[in-house]
Amino acid sequence: MFPAASRKPPSTPMNSSSHERAPMCVQGDSGLVLTTDPKPRLRWTAELHDRFVDAVNQLGGPDKATPKTIMRVMGVKGLTLYHLKSHLQKFRLGKQPHREFNDHYSFKEAAMDLQRNTASSSRIMGRSMNEVLHGTEAHRMQLEVHRRFHEQLEVQKHLQIRIEAQGKYMQSILEKAYQTLAAGQGTEAAGEQLGFVHDMADLQLFGGTGDLQLDNSHQLHLGSIHHLQPPDHGLYLTASPALIGKKMIMAGEKSPFIWDDEAEDDDDSQLHNIGIDVAPGVIDGGYEAKPTIPNADDDKLVLEGTAKMDRPSPLRVLNHPLSVEAINGMLINNRR
Amino acid sequence: MEVAMDEGNDFSRCNFSTAAAMDDYFACAWNNWEQSVADVGPFSASADADDFHDLVESIVFADDVDYDPSTGHFSLPQSPSYNSNTSTCTPVAEEEEHNATATAGNDAKGLRLVHLLEAAAEALGGVHKCPDLARVILVRLRELLGRGGEGTSIERLAGHFTDALQGLLDGGRTSLRDGGQHNHNNKMEVLTAFQLLQDMSPYTKFGHFTANQAILEATAVDRRIHVVDFEIAEGVQWASLMQALASRPGTSSPHLRITAMIRSGGSRSAQETGRLLAAYAASLGQPFSFSQCRLEANSERFRAAGVKVVKGEALVMNCVLHPTTTAARRRTTGSVASFLSGSVDLGARVVTLVEEEVGEGEEAEEEQGRGFVGRFMAELGRYSAVWDSLEAEFPMQGQARAVVERVILGPRIAGAIGHAFRAEEEEGGQVESWGEWMTAMGFGKVSISCFNHCQAKLLLGLFKGGYKVEETATNKLVLGWKTRRLLSASVWKPPSPVLLPVIDSFEDSDFLFD
Repeated sequence: MFPAASRKPPSTPMNSSSHERAPMCVQGDSGLVLTTDPKPRLRWTAELHDRFVDAVNQLGGPDKATPKTIMRVMGVKGLTLYHLKSHLQKFRLGKQPHREFNDHYSFKEAAMDLQRNTASSSRIMGRSMNEVLHGTEAHRMQLEVHRRFHEQLEVQKHLQIRIEAQGKYMQSILEKAYQTLAAGQGTEAAGEQLGFVHDMADLQLFGGTGDLQLDNSHQLHLGSIHHLQPPDHGLYLTASPALIGKKMIMAGEKSPFIWDDEAEDDDDSQLHNIGIDVAPGVIDGGYEAKPTIPNADDDKLVLEGTAKMDRPSPLRVLNHPLSVEAINGMLINNRR
Repeated sequence: MEVAMDEGNDFSRCNFSTAAAMDDYFACAWNNWEQSVADVGPFSASADADDFHDLVESIVFADDVDYDPSTGHFSLPQSPSYNSNTSTCTPVAEEEEHNATATAGNDAKGLRLVHLLEAAAEALGGVHKCPDLARVILVRLRELLGRGGEGTSIERLAGHFTDALQGLLDGGRTSLRDGGQHNHNNKMEVLTAFQLLQDMSPYTKFGHFTANQAILEATAVDRRIHVVDFEIAEGVQWASLMQALASRPGTSSPHLRITAMIRSGGSRSAQETGRLLAAYAASLGQPFSFSQCRLEANSERFRAAGVKVVKGEALVMNCVLHPTTTAARRRTTGSVASFLSGSVDLGARVVTLVEEEVGEGEEAEEEQGRGFVGRFMAELGRYSAVWDSLEAEFPMQGQARAVVERVILGPRIAGAIGHAFRAEEEEGGQVESWGEWMTAMGFGKVSISCFNHCQAKLLLGLFKGGYKVEETATNKLVLGWKTRRLLSASVWKPPSPVLLPVIDSFEDSDFLFD
């Protein structure tokens, strides 16, 4: 009964056939109290709320129940999904014991709500919201959707920082291990190990500072992005915040960038950087993206103040902590 | 020969027309193989003395051997070349371009390797054990595989499993082809390989970040946080936690204390880790202190009394069972159980658990029912997914992948197979899923926040695709590659102490291994 009713393109937000417009509160025969004029709203009476709570409990609690199932269980004429959605959300929020987690939880409720009820929430929301809902609810929905996007950006920012932290720490471990090795084994063995590490560094994909390189003249600059993925997929992650927020598609570049002068394995002398992919539609304002085009002859570099590398040279991962700080400082400043 | 025909039919269901990447192809082949294998009766069912003799003869003297799982017979193929159009294993090959034909040949070889491995596992740990036969099969496998570290992706994978089985045969300490004992000389190699693994896959970050986020949320307003870590390893998990604590908006960051549980012999490396963590914390300006706590010498049991607790601190327990860098010997059931139940004694705020996810569905149940062989095949499936994932993400970095495989994954495989083998032999089972155990023990579930779930999704979004995260329970995220679930991270709340007697009884009688 209800699904049919709610699918009718409504002229009014109330899909009940028993609804009558009136200036005051009206009690429809379903028992719903509908306030009216100028915006018809459903008033949640104690009785109705009790039925709501009963239905929710039947369904296994506010986290398990969905507006659709609640609607079915309650079996109340005139009740639409949208009434239930907003009421359920308030109900969930009201049940939260940890007020200090408010930010997370309020987002969580909004997001869960949205997730539950719409497959591709943003698009459907945008299109049908204004048709189906009346003003205030549509506005509220839009706010929630925006909040969700902002939250995703937040998460992304934190993720980036956490990945960097882990990378930095790994670097410190490697440094320490190398130092220990050099001290204990003497320079020869250390040289051997270093040789191994050097090979590995050539293969180094990325670390916290993996995109920092020294060329033969020990000039410090940031490496360009050398992709080795098939053209249809260009994901890049670097420590550089300048590249956050932009999915970079490198199309058409086929030839791998060979670093070693005598490269035994062409395949493995490539540096790969992976970037954070932002979902389409996410606001990417505030992040400056500088697309870098890989070019065998001309290495475009990500940040200013860097020199061109005119000759391929062996990659080395920069381990010096001071320079790391300096570079990071540059990155942050550039990001603004 | 019916099975062979089925295999042919199964292949025809593969989608060859698209320019299938190798990993897709393998995935398809694996799936089909798994299905056909599931229907197969045990190898040994048809075996008797004569059959064994024939078998041994045919393996030893054959140039090329086919293994038919349905009858348990090895046989010489009619047509020597897999590229030929008359091969029964690949009837579809005729229709294909040259590339696909070659791939079909590879795939058929892969299937053969799998069948051989299964046969060896069956001979070693199946219903009718026959170590000699196992030995012969392993010899044959090694012939097919060539030297370690070379060959195609699937050959390398099969190589590690061959090594693992060989280790079982040889008994005691598994010796690997590369002699990968964790010693000082290899440390650089291990660490570098570990870094590569971290960069090339989300396996370590997923568990660490999910657990850390749960810890952050549970201790959002606390001034003192105390983490009791079951397996400190290199301490990588805590770097990002410290970063998050240090950059919390508002007043100064809370004090973080980490207590690392150590096993005998682990004190020195834990101390080193503590120093590194302290140095990192200092670089962030994060208040930090580190201490160790010994597990009991032989049983490796956890005693809550050994942990120093400070009043007013929020205590969390972290249990990452997913093996990390080194081929460290696995944790006994009793040890893990004592740690998890110790959370009750300590009044922990939350317990974060990261463990390998067991397979699900009919296939997995069938595998379980087959004892060691089933577990062997399950591990083969698991690691083939890991192999696939690395190859799919970084197809060009064969050398880097080979290093990770050799240094990190190979030892893990040996450990897993050894573990499965010993489990077969010993009384009282093993705990497959600690999450289930905790549910049974009355641990409460702490919901995974949307932030946490979102973080996991974004983490996976850094990779090409193929990884996915599912929320299989309110408190659990599962990382998987394509259809195979690999790793889970879950968050728990210890039950109230009134249940303590129940936990004790489980701990002592059901999980006592030594």
